Amino acid sequence: MTKRLPYTLLFIVIAMWVMMGVLRPFLLETAQLTPFLTTKVFAQEMMARHTWGWLLYAASFLQSCMFLPWLGASLLTLVLVAIAYATRWALRLPDSCFGLCWVAPFLLLSRFTRMGYLIYTSKEVAVAFAWPLAALLLLLVLGLAVKGLRALRRGPAADGHKLKGLDLMLLGLSFIAFAGSAYRMWEQTYKDTNFLNALQMKQAIERDDWDEVLRLARDNRQEPTRLQVCFTRLALYKTGQMGDRLFAHPDGSAAYNAPEQNQWLRLMGAQLLYYHLGKTGFAYRWAMEDMVEYGERPMYLRTMHRVALLNGEEALARKYEQALSHTLFYEQDTNILEQEATAIRPLLNYTDQLDGDNGLIEFYLLQSFALTEGGSRQMVELSLMCSLITKHLEGFWPRFMALLPGWQGHIPTHYQEAALMVAQLQGGVDTSQLPIDNEVRQRFERLVEASAQLGDSGSNAYTLRAEYGDTYWYYYFFVEGLKTT
Amino acid sequence: MIIKKNKLQERKAITPLSRREGLGVGLVCLLLFFYSCSTSLPQQAEEAGRMAKMMPDNNGATLPPNLAPLNFEILEEGDAFVTRLSTKAGEELIVDGRSLDISLKDWQRLMASAVGDTLWTDVFVREDKRWKHFQRMANPVVADSIDPYITYRLIRPSYVMYEELTLVERCMENFDQRTIFDNMPMSKGNQGQCINCHVPQQQGQSGRSQFHVRQAYGGTVLIDGTQVRKVNLKTDSTLSAGVYPAWHPTLNLLAYSVNETGQSFHTLDPQKIEVIDYASDLILYDPEKNEVTSIERTTNDFESFPTWSPDGRTLYYISAHHELEGESIDADLDQNYQTLHYNIYARDFSPETHKFGPRRLVFNAEAMGKSASTPRISPDGRWLLFSLADYGQFHIWHRSADLCMISLENIERLESLESLNSPESDSYHSWSSNGRWILFSSRRADGNYTRLYMAYFDKDGHAHRPVLLPQRSPKYYTQLLRSFNAAEWMVRPFGPSPKALDETIRQTALQAKYAGSALLVPENDQAISNAKITKQNYHNIYENN
Repeated sequence: MTKRLPYTLLFIVIAMWVMMGVLRPFLLETAQLTPFLTTKVFAQEMMARHTWGWLLYAASFLQSCMFLPWLGASLLTLVLVAIAYATRWALRLPDSCFGLCWVAPFLLLSRFTRMGYLIYTSKEVAVAFAWPLAALLLLLVLGLAVKGLRALRRGPAADGHKLKGLDLMLLGLSFIAFAGSAYRMWEQTYKDTNFLNALQMKQAIERDDWDEVLRLARDNRQEPTRLQVCFTRLALYKTGQMGDRLFAHPDGSAAYNAPEQNQWLRLMGAQLLYYHLGKTGFAYRWAMEDMVEYGERPMYLRTMHRVALLNGEEALARKYEQALSHTLFYEQDTNILEQEATAIRPLLNYTDQLDGDNGLIEFYLLQSFALTEGGSRQMVELSLMCSLITKHLEGFWPRFMALLPGWQGHIPTHYQEAALMVAQLQGGVDTSQLPIDNEVRQRFERLVEASAQLGDSGSNAYTLRAEYGDTYWYYYFFVEGLKTT
Repeated sequence: MIIKKNKLQERKAITPLSRREGLGVGLVCLLLFFYSCSTSLPQQAEEAGRMAKMMPDNNGATLPPNLAPLNFEILEEGDAFVTRLSTKAGEELIVDGRSLDISLKDWQRLMASAVGDTLWTDVFVREDKRWKHFQRMANPVVADSIDPYITYRLIRPSYVMYEELTLVERCMENFDQRTIFDNMPMSKGNQGQCINCHVPQQQGQSGRSQFHVRQAYGGTVLIDGTQVRKVNLKTDSTLSAGVYPAWHPTLNLLAYSVNETGQSFHTLDPQKIEVIDYASDLILYDPEKNEVTSIERTTNDFESFPTWSPDGRTLYYISAHHELEGESIDADLDQNYQTLHYNIYARDFSPETHKFGPRRLVFNAEAMGKSASTPRISPDGRWLLFSLADYGQFHIWHRSADLCMISLENIERLESLESLNSPESDSYHSWSSNGRWILFSSRRADGNYTRLYMAYFDKDGHAHRPVLLPQRSPKYYTQLLRSFNAAEWMVRPFGPSPKALDETIRQTALQAKYAGSALLVPENDQAISNAKITKQNYHNIYENN
């Protein structure tokens, strides 16, 4: 027992640290990507579709508990520890070989921790728990078989005493196996910073915690992916900072550290982006498309429930509400929903369109808003910003003027910058009558002078970035191409 | 009289016989007696003055004698529930519990006694030690039976993705169902396929039926008894492989529409999707010769959803006329989809020569500002049943879609069939072999998930209140996140084994030959109409490969 306890404690510390310390947002996400409903229909479908349906049902139940990461991590660790002990028991290994018993638990743990983005596209049922439960079951059967065989032979147990002479060597080998598999598991664990940061952003959005999204954007030290850029811009819009801060945030397009680059923004962000930006039909569409592919994941049910509520489809909303009430943890907080809905309703004030996004979510949203005319104040501001991002300046002044009275003296900085620039480029508007900050005017004058002095645009971009990198001017003149995925 | 505990609580059930025995032998049975008293009807009950809320609510629906038990759940507040089902002839079944699971044997006895009359349902609910009696529910029971089987697709109300779907056969006389084909096991990675509607010839009386496979393993699967083969109906001279099928009632022939179909999505409208034909024509397929001939082949007319008259001498179908505005038909129709109005047309057919006569208008929906789809003729040839909506032809996504009917003896009169319809989409329908039952799809429960209903259609041409396809668990429909799609009656079970289907689908399809026009006097054959489809992201959802 004394030889077993250190291994056990060490494994628990490592497993809990990886799951709770490093992969906590991943566990939370795994929970909402795990279909599990306490309905008879769900159980029957699981049994009918899979040979080991009852085992997968149990595995799905346990995996759903990752909604509480400490609980999910503890349950998985417990199963993995049980595997190690069952291995020793089934194979009748001496304590000196106990380190070897942890190879399988580490391998099984890494099967889950290395998933990363692939958790979204995996059709494997309960990827974290299914194999460990199956392994545990297999070991128990094996152990009982070995026990049965021994009872038949009635011979003395071939226990550890014959191996005593080898104990030291086995102990060493055993420890190396333990350490090696722990290292291998750690090495394989998907620790991509952008991925974990994007997950945290996504989960903050789901909590309607927009300040947290911006904090996460600020704290991220890497070039962001388009998904992170989209989430950040959405948070800036939601917190009323879009006009002041959008171009100050990095407009990165870092590659997703996963194959098939084009699908991750859609899989992780489409439902949230469309829902919060009033394209509810498209949010529902992608939730349903993904439910066809990946089953009744709580994430999709939540989107469809919210959209049905916003659309006033009461019977449909009740259906999803009932489905969510049969999940373990996703019964809805109606107060949060009402708060969310109040913020979204102004964006629903437009004529329905028949359209398609071809899976290009960011591009579609930008184009759609850039080409929108009229609507609520929120829609006009999104139209103005998206036309700035897409550099379609034709409709700038009508939108700007429509919004001007509502700004009550303080025009958001980027719109001031755009007004000066558009007036300079197109003429026809006297900006001296507009309430533009002196600091912005002076910056713009300095930029015009600097541009005149400097040569080609390539060298301008480098030189001017330090001073003007947070302005719309810099974005308009020096950021080439529209970055979308 | 039968007094039964709910089957869900069968372990506690006590029959009147055991109660009498129990009274005579001792304490244990005395306890059982006291317990069993709760299964009898309350001595006194106040009248609630309204119907009980229940799920599903089939009050007033006309029932066939051979339908599976109509289990339901009482949605009233209360701590005890008793339901009495009874007939005028004196049969009675008393069941306790909120959720009913009536045994097949008891149900059949009740239904046999109720034929030609009414099945009564009385619900009693106890709350705060007082019993309430709700208004009696009445279900007329007719002698005309339904066909014993149906087939349908069980599918998410999906858009473009389609991998997770099954073809299912359900026995209507009990709750048995089996999967004819499961699409998932055959789909590997991106190599998925879509299985389209299973359609039998004459409700399966001949043993012939067909369904399509799209994308990977694409082809049309033809079934004759237990024999299966796969053919590719796409030829260089036709728009696509066969899409919406219609078996000739007696000959081994099928009419199909061939369609260039795309989907676009509403940003706000709860109708969510438009399925639009950018081009469509009609073909005739002869399985014995493996030949395809053209029935309709036009650019500005979109023909679809063919169906035969029961004598096999007329082919009915829908068609809309649209003159292209601009350069691309898909961009044009994505903008103007609400202007597409389909009428019902017909062509006479000679079973001897396999040739069609000229086209004639049967029902002018456009004149009413409406659009007709999925025409189906009753087996006695008297009635033309179809769905009618504000525009388009894919009415499952149109909330305005209702079932309508005209008498082929008096085509001027449109029957609106109010007893069948709802504010949500009511569409795809099928006649039973005796012509007395209409099976149809409706989204009336929640606007999104399609459920199947059956309505009695009497000899006088009146449709009665429909009944929801019964399930063993009353909660089934609220828990099921799938739609019932393209249901068809079957008089006998589907023949081939899943293994035979699987093997055939994996084989290469036999290529059909194009053999010219099927018209007696060939009309102006025009260019294949997909030349004007320019949308870059366009996929024909009915393309085989």
